[in-house]
Amino acid sequence: MSVSQAYHILFTAGLVWFAILIAVMLIKAIIGPGVTDRILAINMIGTMVICCILILSVLLDENYLTDVALIYAMISYIAVLILATVYIPANPKRKRFGEDVKREVEEGRRYVKEQRAEIRRKMEEEGFKGSTPIDMDGKEL
Amino acid sequence: MLEWILFAVCALLLFAAMVSFTGAVIGAIRFGFVMNSMHAAGIGDTFGILCLVLCLILSIGPGLNMMKLLVILVFLWFNSPVSTHFLIQVEYFTNKELYRFSDRIAGSKTNETASGEEK
Repeated sequence: MSVSQAYHILFTAGLVWFAILIAVMLIKAIIGPGVTDRILAINMIGTMVICCILILSVLLDENYLTDVALIYAMISYIAVLILATVYIPANPKRKRFGEDVKREVEEGRRYVKEQRAEIRRKMEEEGFKGSTPIDMDGKEL
Repeated sequence: MLEWILFAVCALLLFAAMVSFTGAVIGAIRFGFVMNSMHAAGIGDTFGILCLVLCLILSIGPGLNMMKLLVILVFLWFNSPVSTHFLIQVEYFTNKELYRFSDRIAGSKTNETASGEEK
């Protein structure tokens, strides 16, 4: 057996093992109770795919695959950051759980009702003008 | 003879990379708490990638591709902590039980607790 054949077998075995690990992490991404488990699983799958591409670039003797791996690393990094910013609030010091959220929603609904009642009252005082367009504050457009 | 010694070193490094990635995957699955899973995932992102890239550099030899592999290694080493930091923030803002747990243990700085009661 020559050295090149030995390298071929070694890298093929590595690729097969990486494929098994990626499949296991995919199961974790489906099962994982919670958002963070899934994003973490996707991040790890991305890292292992980069490793597979690098091994393939040596196995197939194709140099451009290292550039592909670099671009994929950048894309998976940005994907994880964007997925995370979906769940991170803009104002982190504000409380967002339970009764605080309910309180804020009820206050918002009360504010909208009051504004609409005021607009209706003004319209009744001045007389309904038909098709005159007004905005939310009651001013004519 | 030297080629076979180089092959043996490459095989050893690849085996070490496989072991670290396996440990990272098992750790990510087995730990019930996500923060611990992230700690385990860091094994693959640091040591696993290092062993793999060293193995590939030894098999390729010096040249442009070796520099590209090193660039990928450094890029991934910079990315991993930033991604982990963002994932921890996601866990902090989406897990209600974690919020109450941390308030009970560390003591929140505001006068109100998470449920709106005053201390």
